[in-house]
Amino acid sequence: MDQLFDLALFNSALRVLTPILLAALGGALCARVGLFNVGLEGLMLIGAFTAIVGNHYFENTALAILFAIACVSVFSLLFAYLSIQLQANVIVVGVAMNFLALGLTTFSLRTIFHVKGAYYNKEMIGLPKWDIPVIKDIPVLGEILSGQSPLVYLALVIAGMIWYYFYRTISGFRFLAAGSNPLAARSLGIRVQRYQYGAVLACGVLCALAGAQLSLGQVTLFTEGMTAGRGFIALVAMMLGQSGPLGVVASSLLFGLMDAFSIRLQGLSMPSHFTQMVPYAITIIAMFFFKDKGFLKDAQNSGSSSR
Amino acid sequence: MNKFNKLLHPLIGPLAAIILGLLAGSIAIVVAGGSITETYSEMWKGAFGSFYFFTSTLSRATPVILIGMGAVVAFRSGFFNLGAEGQMVLGGLSAALVGLYMPGPAWLVCVAALLAGIAAGGLWSAMAGYFDVRFRVNLLITTLLLNYIATLFAGYMVAYPFKDRTGSAAMAQSAMLDNAIWLPKLFKGMAVHAGLIIAVIVVIVLFIYLSKSVSGYEARMLGGNPLFAVYGGVRRTSLMIATMFASGGLAGLAGATEILGSQYRYIDNAFSSADYAWTGIMAALLANANPIGTAIAAFFLAALQTGGMGVELNTDVPLEIGSVIQSVLILFITVKFTRIYWKRRKGRKQDGSAV
Repeated sequence: MDQLFDLALFNSALRVLTPILLAALGGALCARVGLFNVGLEGLMLIGAFTAIVGNHYFENTALAILFAIACVSVFSLLFAYLSIQLQANVIVVGVAMNFLALGLTTFSLRTIFHVKGAYYNKEMIGLPKWDIPVIKDIPVLGEILSGQSPLVYLALVIAGMIWYYFYRTISGFRFLAAGSNPLAARSLGIRVQRYQYGAVLACGVLCALAGAQLSLGQVTLFTEGMTAGRGFIALVAMMLGQSGPLGVVASSLLFGLMDAFSIRLQGLSMPSHFTQMVPYAITIIAMFFFKDKGFLKDAQNSGSSSR
Repeated sequence: MNKFNKLLHPLIGPLAAIILGLLAGSIAIVVAGGSITETYSEMWKGAFGSFYFFTSTLSRATPVILIGMGAVVAFRSGFFNLGAEGQMVLGGLSAALVGLYMPGPAWLVCVAALLAGIAAGGLWSAMAGYFDVRFRVNLLITTLLLNYIATLFAGYMVAYPFKDRTGSAAMAQSAMLDNAIWLPKLFKGMAVHAGLIIAVIVVIVLFIYLSKSVSGYEARMLGGNPLFAVYGGVRRTSLMIATMFASGGLAGLAGATEILGSQYRYIDNAFSSADYAWTGIMAALLANANPIGTAIAAFFLAALQTGGMGVELNTDVPLEIGSVIQSVLILFITVKFTRIYWKRRKGRKQDGSAV
């Protein structure tokens, strides 16, 4: 049993938490402007697929990621238009996006690559592994942090940037105001819709990066539905982290550890079902403590909110 | 003219969504290198082309209709129950276990298995409802999360304690049910089973309940205007738990009929991969939570999926064409759906600008 915990566990936890963290940050941006984005899973899946497509055609990982960002942005714009402009139910649109992503990626997998199930080509190049010079030599930290793909480091940097934006810039303050009370924000001349569009677009970019880390990070392949619920875990991480960047990092870290841990348990041929349940169970328990506002308040607010 | 508008109005949204869905499907077909007319006619044949195909569409529609009814019950009272998948899985699992281990005459076991399915799904869903009324835990999130816990739990049950060890034993599944307790098939050699009759009865009962009974009226009032309903003396707490039990119980029944009528054993992930639960929820949204409309929508969504299989068999276009059309349709149908709810909250403005 003592083989279960070692530094390599933390190293792999950092790798598996990255897609969750990126998507959760995107979800947090949307949540802060009042859009509950259930479509993270679908956006991530499109990101993973288009990153592979980009890799196939451009044979360059940087261009592949840019291609993925462009494609996912189109879909997040569709999400934004339907939910902001046409006032559609955000949750229904999000669920429909997940459906669309699953259908479209599977459909395109078979029309573009003519394979069923998974696409793998050993000539494709995955993301490089980086060793950061100074940190690499620090005993414990070095072993955990080094040898990750650039997106892992980028995810942590983005979390810091979002924190700075939220709490240290004027625009970030307006962003938060637009979400917490749209009507008051509008009366101050804040363009609420503009912030909402910006948040959804940024969320798309982050989900594209999350997908690219999935399909190009550890392994270089795409399988049907390869996000396998990570988008929903990201959603949970976002809610557990109260949509604040630091909280999201902490809860993603928890889920990353749990994920890495359940992979370990599988290696020991023990039932992983219960370790996989842990993130969901923890979230439900956590929600007993972070209470949601009640239905009466919701009903009263709905008359005055922009949603 | 006004009457004409009133009749036509609710149809504009769905029609526009269907046209957009078919348009997106046509684009996908052209990209895949198929012929549009040929593909759509194969799709039609795959869903309705012969009596055999028609009955397999009906068989696929059975669980979707039941889940749709569960969603209707919840939506009408203003609750979003997104946990149909977990409720269905637990319903199916408990039906399979009761069917395997309960002694007694076959018909009794079959009825007990169906009731066990309703109880399991209902209690699982009522738990989420209880958390919401008692502890103010957001219903939407709990129902969504309980899906994963239920699916993983059922997966564990058939992978370890109740695994079928008689066959090649590579799959996580329970043992096969004795064929005396299977739900009878409606036609010899066809896929459609007695579950369809149960589903149709549920649709009719629910329609009468919602439109004619007092508690159905209370439920609709709670959904339409929660503040007014509470003011008018509707007890939200008990009504919500009862509603959630009914909603989850119908999803559990869907799982039980699917086990007893067509799969005869619980196979890990068989329900999730077929997407019965989400299709049922979408059917309810498509029809704006009207029971009869939901049943029709469920039937057509099932037809899109069986039609997709026909397309795959006879053309080069992949099966997923069905899910592409379906998801685009849903994406745009929601626009209409919330416009109505949104307008209702704003106090029914008569400006006629809504489409």
